[in-house]
Amino acid sequence: MTTPVLGVTVQTGLDVSGVIYSYKPIKEKADDFTVTVQNENAAGDGYIFQDTEDFSGKSAINIRKVLALPYTPIEQFGKGSIATTGTGSIEDASVIYMYRFDACRNPQNDPSCPDYIPPLPPKIKVYDALDDESVKLASKETDKDLIDDDEDSKQSNEEEKEKDRLETMLGIAANAFTIANGATQSSLINTMNFLSMDNYYLARIPTQIYKEPLVLKDQGMSDNRKVLRSLSNDRLHQTMIEEQYK
Amino acid sequence: MKKIITIGLILGLTGCSLLTSKVQANTNITGNVQSRCEVVTDITGYFGNPNAYSLTTAPASNGQVPQIRVTSTLANAYKALISYPTSFSSSPSLSNSVTWSGAVAIASASSSDMSGYQAASTLTNNGAMRTYYLTKAGTMYVTVTSTATHGGNKAFPGGQYVAVAQASCIAQ
Repeated sequence: MTTPVLGVTVQTGLDVSGVIYSYKPIKEKADDFTVTVQNENAAGDGYIFQDTEDFSGKSAINIRKVLALPYTPIEQFGKGSIATTGTGSIEDASVIYMYRFDACRNPQNDPSCPDYIPPLPPKIKVYDALDDESVKLASKETDKDLIDDDEDSKQSNEEEKEKDRLETMLGIAANAFTIANGATQSSLINTMNFLSMDNYYLARIPTQIYKEPLVLKDQGMSDNRKVLRSLSNDRLHQTMIEEQYK
Repeated sequence: MKKIITIGLILGLTGCSLLTSKVQANTNITGNVQSRCEVVTDITGYFGNPNAYSLTTAPASNGQVPQIRVTSTLANAYKALISYPTSFSSSPSLSNSVTWSGAVAIASASSSDMSGYQAASTLTNNGAMRTYYLTKAGTMYVTVTSTATHGGNKAFPGGQYVAVAQASCIAQ
C-alpha cells in the first residue's frame, strides 16, 4: 500500500501478514457469480494476492474469511479491490489487514536498534551583519554632494532647534507671569464677591400665639312645629296597630 | 576331578535358569493426534427479558445471540452437533414448566462451498439439535437463538437464569 492509497506516509518495516474479509453476496442460486478480493502489486505486475469465491449454482452465504499471507512489506501492496463477475452483487463488505511492524528495519527508528547511528548535531548558520549584502549596500557611500547637503541641513536643523528652545524658555517665563496675574485677579474677585451666610444662620424668628377671633353668640332657635304634627300621626298609627291585638 | 564337578555345577545352574525364567521387554509406541476440528465461542449470548414470563436472545429485546465458530481442517472427517438449550442449567425454583424454542443457523462461512451446509443439515431432539456434515475444510460461524417462556404466562421469579447452547465436533 503506497502513500496515495493509505493516505499516510508508509512506514518502512510494516509487513502485512494476512487479510480478514467479509461480505454478503446477493444472488439467485441458479446465477453464475464470482467474487474476488485482491490487491494489486505496487510494482505494477499482477496482484500481491487474489482470493476468489465461486457462487455459481450455489446458494448465497455470507463469507467471512481469514487469509494468511507471507510477511509482505506494505510498500509492495498496491490498490485493493473486490471484483465480481456474473449476475449478483455484494453488501456489507469489509477488508481488514493484519500486520506486524519491524521497528529496526530502519535502524534510525529506534536508538535501541543494532545499527542505529546517532544523528549529527545540526549546523547552525551564524548571521554576520557585516556579510549581509543589504547592510553593505545600505552603508555604502553613494554621492558626496548628497552627504554635504545632509550636513548643511543638519546645521540648519540645529540652529532652528536652538531658536525654538529659546522661544520656549521665554514663553515659559511669560506664561508664569500670566498665571500669577490671573491668580491675583481671581483672588480680588473672590474678595469682592464674598457673601457671608452667617446672617441667615443666626436669624431668630420670634414665637407668636394666634388666638381664635371668631365667637358665635346664641340667638335662640324655635322648635319645629311640623314635627308635632308628624308625632301625632305617628301616635295614631301606633294606636291603630295596637287595636288589632285587642 | 574337583574342577570337573565345579564346572558341571555351574553348567547345571545355568541350564536351570534358562529353563525357568522368561525374558521380556515393554516398548512404548507413542503417537499424537492433532485435533482437526475446533469449536470456539465467538460471541457470548445473554437473555433479554421483554416481559415477565419470557427470556430471549433476540437483540430487539436486549438479548444477544451467541455465535459459535467451528473450524475443520479436514474435509469429510467431522460433523458438528449444535443445539439450542431446552432447560436452564441454573435458575431460581420454578413452579411452572418452561417452553423452549430456538433455532440454529449458519451466519457465515469461509467458503462458498459451504453454502449447502444448512440445507444438508439434519434436526434431532425435537428440532433442538442440528447436525452439520463438514464436507469441506474451512470455518463456519453458527448462531443459536433461544427463547424460554414460563408456563401460563406466569412471571419468572427474580434471579439469575443460565442456559447452555451445546456445540460439539465429532468424527463422522
